[in-house]
Amino acid sequence: MKKVLLMGQANVGKSVLFNRLAGAYVTESNYSGTTVDFAKGRMRLDHEDVEIIDVPGTFSLEPKDRAEEVAASMLKEEKGALVVCVIDSSKVERGLYLTLELIEKGYPLVIALNMWDVAKSGNIKVDAEKLEQILGVPVVPTVATRGEGLKELVLTMKKAAPGEIEKIMERAGGKSGTHG
Amino acid sequence: MEKKLSQMKYEEKGRIKKIDRSLRAQIAGMGIREGKEIEMMTKQPIKGPLVVNVDRANTSIGLGLADKIIVEVEE
Repeated sequence: MKKVLLMGQANVGKSVLFNRLAGAYVTESNYSGTTVDFAKGRMRLDHEDVEIIDVPGTFSLEPKDRAEEVAASMLKEEKGALVVCVIDSSKVERGLYLTLELIEKGYPLVIALNMWDVAKSGNIKVDAEKLEQILGVPVVPTVATRGEGLKELVLTMKKAAPGEIEKIMERAGGKSGTHG
Repeated sequence: MEKKLSQMKYEEKGRIKKIDRSLRAQIAGMGIREGKEIEMMTKQPIKGPLVVNVDRANTSIGLGLADKIIVEVEE
């Protein structure tokens, strides 16, 4: 069965998103040998049943504690998985580190700019289209707690694409071997 | 004036000047990078961790890490 991994930092709404998407048949699992728990469920994606996993929150893919270790190894074990990278829209920059790591590893990716309402009420303007343009992967604003943008997110999962780190550097105006 | 992050006082603000190479990758994921503005939010007693605010996000850092971060603070 195809797998969808929900990844992101702690407290960005991964679990709320998970509960919205997974519906019934949720099982709580323990990553063997650790005390780190995660939830697994099923969802319907493009007329197909897929497994969706609520991965423990992590700052980066270089683990610093047990939960991050689990997150990193879960990702490693699921080579063919589609990854939904959940970012707190009010703290976008903070989430981009993990996002770029995921792109570097070559996973097909969709970005959920979650907590869009929080950013809005904090007067933080995020240009989702521009972000999509620079990263080369689909970006969808969501408010998981209210279910906003989830339909678009699921529809967009079909278009999940691996980004290209070199092109991102070019588009963002950063330095890379091939640019400047 | 330059000082270690661990020496910053409560509510003191500054800009991150230098992060020891050994932990750069470790804390970059938390949004703590050189050039970032930083504010001390909480200091825990008995060599406990401290909480800093970078880009409106609170992050707790162990004292050991904070010893290896140099901050330029406003006088």
